Amino acid sequence: MARIFLNNLSVDIPIYDVGAASLKRALLGRAIGGRFSQAGSIVTVKALKNLSLEANVGDRIALVGDNGSGKSTLLRVLSSVYPATAGTVLVDGHVSPMFEATLGMNMDATGLENIRMSGTIWGMTRAQIESSMDEIADFTELGSYLEVPVRTYSNGMLLRLAFAIATVRDPEIMLIDEVIGVGDQKFFAKAFARLQGVIQRSQILVVASHADDILRVLCNKALWLDHGILVEYGDSETVMTAYRTPEVVTTQPHSETQPHSQWSPKIGVPAN
Amino acid sequence: MTYAVGNTIAREFIDGFRSSQIWGMLGWDDIRQRYRRSLLGPFWITLSMGVFIMLLGVIYARLFKTDIAIYLPYLSVGLVTWGFIATATTESCRAFQEGERILKQIKLPYGVYVLRVVWRNVVIFFHTIIIFIPVAVLFNVEPTWYAFLALPGMALIYINQVWVAFVLAILCSRYRDIMPVVTTAVQILMFATPIMYFRESLGDSAWIADINPLYHLIELVRAPLLGTPPAMLSWEVAISTAIMGTSLALALLVRTSRRIVFWV
Repeated sequence: MARIFLNNLSVDIPIYDVGAASLKRALLGRAIGGRFSQAGSIVTVKALKNLSLEANVGDRIALVGDNGSGKSTLLRVLSSVYPATAGTVLVDGHVSPMFEATLGMNMDATGLENIRMSGTIWGMTRAQIESSMDEIADFTELGSYLEVPVRTYSNGMLLRLAFAIATVRDPEIMLIDEVIGVGDQKFFAKAFARLQGVIQRSQILVVASHADDILRVLCNKALWLDHGILVEYGDSETVMTAYRTPEVVTTQPHSETQPHSQWSPKIGVPAN
Repeated sequence: MTYAVGNTIAREFIDGFRSSQIWGMLGWDDIRQRYRRSLLGPFWITLSMGVFIMLLGVIYARLFKTDIAIYLPYLSVGLVTWGFIATATTESCRAFQEGERILKQIKLPYGVYVLRVVWRNVVIFFHTIIIFIPVAVLFNVEPTWYAFLALPGMALIYINQVWVAFVLAILCSRYRDIMPVVTTAVQILMFATPIMYFRESLGDSAWIADINPLYHLIELVRAPLLGTPPAMLSWEVAISTAIMGTSLALALLVRTSRRIVFWV
C-alpha cells in the first residue's frame, strides 16, 4: 500500500557562489584569518518550512503555488533526490518521477536506443523493456523515425517519445513536475488519455502544474504552497479556487498621502 | 549513528556496484557516442594507441640506446596501463557533473556515476591492451604462466581506481578548482613513474619508483606479461592502498552524501 508521510519537513538548499566553490580560497581564508575572509558566500534558501502532509492510496494531489514556492523541491524530496534538513520523510511505494521529459536522453542516439537507455535508468530489466517495446513504439506514432538520431526530432516528437517511456510502467507513486501542458493538440489529447490510464493504475499522484483544467480533471486534492509554507491542503476545488482568487488590496486616496505637486517627475516641469 | 553510516554505504556504494546494468550501459554508451559514424568505431582507440606506442618506442629506444626488442614490449604495457589510470583519474573529477541531469531527477546510488567513468575506461583498456599481443609476437616475448598473475594485478588496479574516483568525484564537485591540480599532478606523475624508462635506470634514486604506488600497480600487470613475477613489495603496496583508500572513500561518502546533490 503506497503512503506518503511528511512531518515538520524542512529543506534548506545551499547555493554556492564561485568563491565558495574554490578550495584555494577556503584554505587561504583559514590561513590568513578572519579579516580577509575571501572564502566566498553560501546562501541558504529555506525552500520548505515545517511541512506536514499525509497522503494515502487514492489521493491525487495537485501542487499549486507561485514560481519559487517550493513545489519542485517537495517533489524532489518525495523522489529522494533532496534530503530533508529537518523533520521526517516516509515514502512507501515505488516512485515514478516525471520531472524532465527528456530524462537521460542522448541526442545522438536513435529513438529506440533512447527507449532502452531510459528504461534501464529507470530500473526496468532488459526483458521488461523488450516486451514493452512494441507498445511504446506504437504510442509514439513515430514509425521509422525511431531508428533515426533523436536530435533530428521536433519538440513535439521528443515529448511524445519521452512521454511514452515515462508512462509505460505502472507506478505506485507518480510525481509529475510541469511536464504536462506542453505539446501539440492531437498528441496532448492522446497523452492525456494515456496519462489518465496510468494514473488510474497508480496509487498516489502528485502533480505540479499551472494548467488548472488538467489539474481539475486529474486531481481530487490540492496542496497550496507559498514560499515553502503549506497554506492549505484539502479538496482540490476548494484549495485551487482559494489559490486563484486574487487578494483584495485597499488603498488610500492619492491626495491624502502625497501632495500632487511634489509627485511630478516630468523633465522640464519645475517642482514647486 | 552506525545504522545511518551502514545505510549510506549500502545505499550509495554497494547498491552502486549492484546497479551494473545502469552504469555498464551508460559507460558503454559514452564510448559508442565518441565513435558513432566513424569508420573503425572504438577500434580507433586501438589504432591510435598502437601508432603512439610504435613511434615512441622506436624513437626512445634509440635515445636510451636500449634494445627495441626489450623496450617496446615494456613500453606498450606500461603506457596502456598508465592510460587507464591517468584518464580514469582525471575523468572521475567530473563524474557527478556528467550525470547531473539524471542526478537531479531520480535517485540512483552515487556509485553509478563513479563506476560509469571507471567502466568506460576499463573498456578502453581492453581495446588497447590487445596491442601487446602483436608486439609480444613480433619481439619474441616468452609467454610464461606468470602472465596469469596480470589478472589479479588488473583487479587491484581497478579496486584502487574506484576509491580514487569516488574521492575525486566528491571533492571536485564541492571545490571546482581541484580538477586542474589533478590534471597537472597526473602529467607530472607520468614522468616520475617508470613507464618510458626502467626502474634500474634510476640507479641510486630507485627509491623514487619504490615510494610511488603507481609504479607498483603498473608492475603488477607489466612484470607478469613480460615473464617475471612482480615483487612482493608491489603486492603489499597495492593491497594496502586498496584497503586504506577504500576506507577513506567510504568515510568521505558517509560525511558528504547528503550534500552532493546541492554541489553538482
